[in-house]
Amino acid sequence: MSRAGAAGAEGAGGAVGGGVGRLRTIVTVIRAGLRSNFGLAVIKHRLLKEKKDRWLVPLIGVAALGVVPMFYGIVLLIQNLYFVLKPMGQERALLAFGLLAGQILILLFGIYYVIAAFYFSRDLELLIPLPLRPSEVMASKFAVVVINEYLTMAAVVLPVVVTLGVVARVKIGYWVNAVLVYLTLPVIPLAVVSLAVVLMMRFINISRKKDAFILVGSLVLIGLSFALQVGLGRTSAGGEGAQPSLQAVAAFLTSPNSLLNKIGAVFPPGIWATKAIAGGFRAEGLANLALFLGVSLLLFAGMIVAAEKLFYRGLVGLGETTGKRRRLSRDEMSRRVSSGRRAFAAIFEREWRIMNRTPIFLLNGILVGVFVPAIVIIMSTVDKGSGGGGAAQGGDAMVLIKAMVSANPLVAMLGAALFMTVCGSINGTASSTFSREGAQFWISRVIPVAPREQAAAKFLHSYLVALVGVVTASVVAGLAFHLAAALLVPAVVLSLAAGVVLTAVGMMIDLARPLLDWTNPQKAIKQNLNVLLALFADIGILTVLFFAAKALIKAKLGTSAVLGVVLGMLVVLAAASYLALMRFADKRYPAIE
Amino acid sequence: MIALEHVSKSYNRGKVRAVDDLTLTIKPGEIFGFLGPNGAGKTTTIKLIVGLLRPDAGRIAVEGHDIETEPLAAKQVTTYVPDFPAIYERLTGLEYLNFIGDVYGVPKADRLERIDKWLEIFELAPVVTNPIQSYSHGMKQKIVLTAALLPGPRVMVLDEPLVGLDPRAAHQLKEMFREHCDAGKTLFFSTHIMEVAEKLCDRIGIIHKGRLVACGTMAELKAMDRTEGGQSLEEIFLEVTEK
Repeated sequence: MSRAGAAGAEGAGGAVGGGVGRLRTIVTVIRAGLRSNFGLAVIKHRLLKEKKDRWLVPLIGVAALGVVPMFYGIVLLIQNLYFVLKPMGQERALLAFGLLAGQILILLFGIYYVIAAFYFSRDLELLIPLPLRPSEVMASKFAVVVINEYLTMAAVVLPVVVTLGVVARVKIGYWVNAVLVYLTLPVIPLAVVSLAVVLMMRFINISRKKDAFILVGSLVLIGLSFALQVGLGRTSAGGEGAQPSLQAVAAFLTSPNSLLNKIGAVFPPGIWATKAIAGGFRAEGLANLALFLGVSLLLFAGMIVAAEKLFYRGLVGLGETTGKRRRLSRDEMSRRVSSGRRAFAAIFEREWRIMNRTPIFLLNGILVGVFVPAIVIIMSTVDKGSGGGGAAQGGDAMVLIKAMVSANPLVAMLGAALFMTVCGSINGTASSTFSREGAQFWISRVIPVAPREQAAAKFLHSYLVALVGVVTASVVAGLAFHLAAALLVPAVVLSLAAGVVLTAVGMMIDLARPLLDWTNPQKAIKQNLNVLLALFADIGILTVLFFAAKALIKAKLGTSAVLGVVLGMLVVLAAASYLALMRFADKRYPAIE
Repeated sequence: MIALEHVSKSYNRGKVRAVDDLTLTIKPGEIFGFLGPNGAGKTTTIKLIVGLLRPDAGRIAVEGHDIETEPLAAKQVTTYVPDFPAIYERLTGLEYLNFIGDVYGVPKADRLERIDKWLEIFELAPVVTNPIQSYSHGMKQKIVLTAALLPGPRVMVLDEPLVGLDPRAAHQLKEMFREHCDAGKTLFFSTHIMEVAEKLCDRIGIIHKGRLVACGTMAELKAMDRTEGGQSLEEIFLEVTEK
């Protein structure tokens, strides 16, 4: 049945059963959505029945242990901030910051998640013909996104809420309300995003250039949410420079207007959530909890009503693109039929085309390389704009960077190289390169092209995507941080060599365990464990390099010598990791079933 | 030619034997039809032949090239059509064909001639510059078939190739099968359509629970049957897969 037909049939006989029956249906659909999205049945089958992937369990354990020191550092910072803010009666601002940061994160990631879950899940073709309302289908998708967001915001919100609760020795009301707020936290930003996306899709669907519109629309939404973040930054900074030091934070928190109220003025749910948790079972806590939950429910209801009217209209035919029927003339055909390129070039071109034509891949791949440096440049502009008064606390970020550059050019060079490397490698292109092929991986398996040649073409593609980040980051470092060419050039060279290492390592991680059974392209890149594992590996490699460089500097070697040794290490690592990738491809390709 | 010698493949660490000690030779110029109930091991066998799965035991050779030790040489002479046309939806039909032509190293003149021929036969010519995601299921199946025919392979392995095709395309495909094998090439395909297998195949193999329970020409299969009268392939199939 076509989607149009399915939607029509639903419209005629969608409402089946009464209140309790419907609720049960919704719960069933949500449960099925969660199971299918998180692959619980597959994980269980692989771990318990096929006994595959068991090696992953200790690996993830080790990786989790690896981030413990980082979390410990964050917890210590929060604890210190608490003791600085407590005497000023501003400790709640810390909670507000955590909750607000969580909600902004949800807003930003939510755009990807919502578009992918609502419009690109292949299971929609199975759900739409079922006797379900559009709002029920959307609610099930919404639930999946909410659960994803719990995981995303855990890193930001939980350390703040738990540390403050423990340090302040709060009562039970704090914890109960904190759990309720945590569970509800994604609803407001996600409902807002969902409404915007559903509206956007309603109009995009009338266009033939849907993919392009989805891309532009997503960029506009991301831009808007970023503008909101910058706006919040300006408001919360209240004309003072945002300083990382405790004194600076303390200084602007003691300004005449309470920071908490300032945040509340721009984004009231942040303040309600804060007061709900901090107030516990006292009247203030319960009133704000009611307000927060009520508004969440209201927005969710609004989204459901909108979904009933708009969701299928934006959805119907979205996956189907129409093309003009046009027969090529003999000459045109002769021109467009390739005269025979090398297999390497053909595979490289395939990678490039598929990535650029799949909005989810493009947004999470190449555009991340542009976004991250762009965000840094915008932040530095904002910092300048709102700076001035805060400079009294030691100057803004720019001043710090300039001081660092003049005091120690070598450290500045290494720092710039690290910045460029991170900007180049933070996208998941390399670590999802095999996973992105999904169900089409059979083609790579049956074509008469050696695995190492295929891997080499994929490497070039991933490396060029990393290069986009490196180039953008070097432009930012040059323009925004005024780094001279003499500093930039060595940094670029170092980051290009580091890029080879990280790209090869990311690809090997993905090749070891490619995620090929996805039905939603989002899962191949954004929810792919390999991307996370590669990120841990990257952090590990860069940490080792950092300590190596530190030791060299401590040994009082000259600038050229330090750069030479670091570059030498990177070149050796790059060659070794590339060769390892080639060998691994030959070994691993035939074993992937 | 395709040769399987004592090939076995199991899943779930040996608990499920999908293919059990299969020995089979498909000669050049032969159309071989592979039948069996759902889950009998047809698709597993096909995936083993094209190198998508590794056998636990046994040896498979295509045109004399061992699929384990000379995989590229074996793949160079083989094309495969899966049971579900999962192909690059974001490429246009022509881009996909160009990709296949490039990786198999098909010369431009042959490429143009074959693309032209099969696009006309399958009525894909007016849509070949459109993205594959805009194609219907049948059109996707046709573009996969065109891609499989493009290298002019010595061996074609097809899993349920007639599913999703309209009667005209199915008819033309069957004619192509004959043409392909009359040129001394080999064709191995699985099907559930008994009539097609009976009329088209030079030999038929029936697999049941991973074991080859019957194999031969239609006349040989009928001779195997102990019951009275000339049975149809369907009746023979039901009988040998009963247990």
